[in-house]
Amino acid sequence: MKRVLLTGNGAAAWGARQARVDYVPAFPITPQTEIIESLAGWIDRGEMPGRLVTLESEHSMITAAGAAAATGVRVFSATSSQGLLYAMEMLYTVAGWRAPFVLVNVSRGLSAPITLEPDHNDVMAARDSGFLQIHCADCQEVLDSVLIAYRLAEDRRVRQPVLVNLDGFYLSFTREPVTLPDAASVDAFLPPFDAEAIMMRASAPESQAVAVLGGGPYSYFRYETHLALLNGLAVYDEIAADFNARFGRDYPAVEAYRCDDAEIVLLMIGSFATKARTAVDRLRQAGKPVGLLRPRLLRPFPAALLAAQLSGRRGVAVIDQNISMGKGGVLHTELASALYGVAEAPLLISFIGGLGGRDIAPEEFFEMVRVVEQAIDSGEAPPPRLLYTREELREMRKLQAVAQVERSNLEEPQ
Amino acid sequence: MFRVRFHGRGGQGMKTASRILGSALFAEGFEVQDAPRYGAERRGAPIFAYVRADQGPINERGIIRRPDLVVVADETLVPVPAAGVLAGIDAHTLLLIHSRESADTWRERLNTPAQVLILPLSEAVVERAEMPYVGAACAGAAAALLGVVSQASLTQALHSELDALGEVVVQRNLDKALDAFAELAASDVRASEGTEPDAADYASPAWIELPFETAGVSAPVIHAGLTSLASRTGLWRTLRPVIDYTLCNHCWWICSSLCPDGAIRVEDATPAIDYDHCKGCMVCVAVCPPHAITAQPEAAAGERETQS
Amino acid sequence: MSDIETRFRRIKDLPSTHLLGTGTPMCAGCGGLQALHDIYDVLGAKTVFINAAGCMTLLSTYPFTPFRGSWLYTAMASAPAGAQGVRDALDILLEQGRMPPDDDLRVVVLTGDGAAYGMGLSATSGAIERNLDFLYIVYDNEGYGNTGQQYSGATPYAARTATSGIGYRGEKKDLFEIWVAHRPAYAATVIGAEPLDLARKVEKAMTIRGPKLILALAPCPTGWDYDPKLTVDIGRLAVRSGIWPLKEYVDGQVVHTKTPHPRKPVEAYLQLQGRFAHLFAPQRDEATLAEIQARVDAYWANLEH
Repeated sequence: MKRVLLTGNGAAAWGARQARVDYVPAFPITPQTEIIESLAGWIDRGEMPGRLVTLESEHSMITAAGAAAATGVRVFSATSSQGLLYAMEMLYTVAGWRAPFVLVNVSRGLSAPITLEPDHNDVMAARDSGFLQIHCADCQEVLDSVLIAYRLAEDRRVRQPVLVNLDGFYLSFTREPVTLPDAASVDAFLPPFDAEAIMMRASAPESQAVAVLGGGPYSYFRYETHLALLNGLAVYDEIAADFNARFGRDYPAVEAYRCDDAEIVLLMIGSFATKARTAVDRLRQAGKPVGLLRPRLLRPFPAALLAAQLSGRRGVAVIDQNISMGKGGVLHTELASALYGVAEAPLLISFIGGLGGRDIAPEEFFEMVRVVEQAIDSGEAPPPRLLYTREELREMRKLQAVAQVERSNLEEPQ
Repeated sequence: MFRVRFHGRGGQGMKTASRILGSALFAEGFEVQDAPRYGAERRGAPIFAYVRADQGPINERGIIRRPDLVVVADETLVPVPAAGVLAGIDAHTLLLIHSRESADTWRERLNTPAQVLILPLSEAVVERAEMPYVGAACAGAAAALLGVVSQASLTQALHSELDALGEVVVQRNLDKALDAFAELAASDVRASEGTEPDAADYASPAWIELPFETAGVSAPVIHAGLTSLASRTGLWRTLRPVIDYTLCNHCWWICSSLCPDGAIRVEDATPAIDYDHCKGCMVCVAVCPPHAITAQPEAAAGERETQS
Repeated sequence: MSDIETRFRRIKDLPSTHLLGTGTPMCAGCGGLQALHDIYDVLGAKTVFINAAGCMTLLSTYPFTPFRGSWLYTAMASAPAGAQGVRDALDILLEQGRMPPDDDLRVVVLTGDGAAYGMGLSATSGAIERNLDFLYIVYDNEGYGNTGQQYSGATPYAARTATSGIGYRGEKKDLFEIWVAHRPAYAATVIGAEPLDLARKVEKAMTIRGPKLILALAPCPTGWDYDPKLTVDIGRLAVRSGIWPLKEYVDGQVVHTKTPHPRKPVEAYLQLQGRFAHLFAPQRDEATLAEIQARVDAYWANLEH
């Protein structure tokens, strides 16, 4: 066990290395590329066993990943943004194969317009695919989550692929101290993959991922996949507890920070949640009873846990780094459904922020809490708010002037 | 509401039958739904199509659970469970079978509460080239049994569906349809509209909690080889290849190698056809060098088989 | 590579009991299935088919499969990537001694022309370039058959399809040459109607490591509109008219394995098929018929130079 400085990408690669993955189908995309470059280097230099193959697209990469897992080896892959979307057909497909492997997604905003900076619309698009999703807030958590993800994926009560998400730039390219667990402890925590009855061998022919006719069999197979994901809730808790016992790091399905007596809760996922932690500390210093809830597990959705945590609170600021066009924040929608009919459910106030890597300032967290307080006083939730300032619109106006947008159409910020 | 189901094989024009009947009912002023239902199967495999007709808008969709009229284009389908010919049939249902046999024979064989009627099967229809015309005959017969479609509307509907195929084909179909129409119109049997399900008194759907099962059980995986043998594609056949062993020259495996389905086995230099699975393509008939294999109508061949 | 000794010298040498099971949902008279069962007899059951979306996806429909060996359905675009994953996984298991050598499988992609000539080209090109050890079987029925025969990149000039009612104006893509341009380990055209030629090519392909193409023209009674009993006649005419040259690429050379001489007029092939009926009735389309003949003649004339 040693402590080193690692980027989020480096931590993801170390997670794969310590999980002793056999096979890494790869395809480069910013900001994920460093993960596969690290693994390629280690494999080339003989520092880790395994095989890395660069496919010609993410669609092919996920196909190869699922196919190798369906043949009974431990598979790791990584992508980001457009790559995740290009692979989307195969995400749904391999999840239906019940092929367990781990895919790291380095979140990045989606085109158009194209950008390199992060938000969560890419990973939200994979929400319904049948991959379990773990969302990380720091680099240590990235490494640890990869290890936990293999246990979760390969557990016979689940046997589904797991996606581990980290934010581009804010984690992917950011170095932090990370504790590398020693190999023997990891091996004890994560035994080799046992493919059981699902593999392909000459002595045991199998037809996998076959077609079905009719809604009866189709409903059965699809619902069983859903049930496998739901099992993931309890299985995750069990694995996280085991991880904590072995390594002393606790990763509950929902992180609750200073929530015990909180009347107002900030709720968000990913690395920006660490900013929210600091904001909570400042707000507490200012005497405000504020806490933070950070779901790590987004699929399966810890609805009961969230409902239990939030019942009796007065207001929640749900901060979505994503936007479902024509609807709004995805977390807000999901949380609302989890709280419907729950006794003493709090007011939910929706904020959209951090799109395309747009920062969220400490003052904005404070202001969101003020908005929640006002909503509590009035008993009415205001409409969703995009975190966007007058100054940002002024800057935008300058860009539009250069782009020669017709001036008469430009409304000056009030 | 009228609910009509057509059962046939891919290639027998069941979709066409449903469209002709649908158009004819539409011409009579009904609101109409017609649709085919495909599976994975191909030409020769069981398919069905259905028609609904009502005075007002139709909200019901999808398969017909309780048909007023079931038209069976191919009698060999009746005993095939997968074809679902008898599904939902009750005492009010008319079951019209395109058959050589009598209504009494079928009634006895099926022990069904439905009223059985026969659309006589002419010898000519055993030819594969005649298969597409079966649909037109079924549409004509169904139109007559509903009692609400005039000959003129039937004719108009058939034209609107088939005119693109050219005059000769249309005329041939029209003859078949009108013959069948006349044949069934002459009887005094008419389909009756079934009752609607009663929301105050109904059989519970018996929902269950689907239990979680591990992927070893619940993944879409077939854990063995060759399970397709359980699929009796021999039922697709309308023609049967029959080997005359007195002519077979025990050649070099030609029929066996060229059978697309691999349904001809050679043992001791003698070919044998697997009738459970032969789909009746007749490639073997076409390629056999001494012409030792002939095509025979399936129904007739089947009879001979049961007699011998 | 020197010519290997073939165990298939005459048709009687072909296997007389077949490995591929009956009871499949393919159409009666399917030329693709005919080629596949011949290929499978030679390949043997220690095979895993990686399937791309197409008619044959339905070969394995729960709970039925005609294969004695294994199968994995992927998607339309990425079957070769599935083959990559399976081959790599098997190699890893073998290298690490986690699987007995006897349990190894031959990795075979099974695809229709729709995927092979279009959506799947990128994945195929990638797999060839990575020198993946796999066999790539195309059943080419010259259209998107499973959806009702719309034109695909494999549809020949003048053929009527569900989306080219007046005859296809484009050209059939030359998939064999696309493969050859990649310098693969092996590439061959075959047809089910010539089972000996087919068996020898599959036999040869099995001795060579690397990417290997078996491109089978697949007469299709449903899509080409003819009586299913004519599948073999039409297949033979495709060869004898010179429309479907039987050839192979080995060691950088393309060799024709059957040179029809004299060639039958293309009309003999075309007129049996409903998809070309508009070239013959209501009146003969002499210009188009001559055009098709000229293209075939030019192909063979080029070879002689």
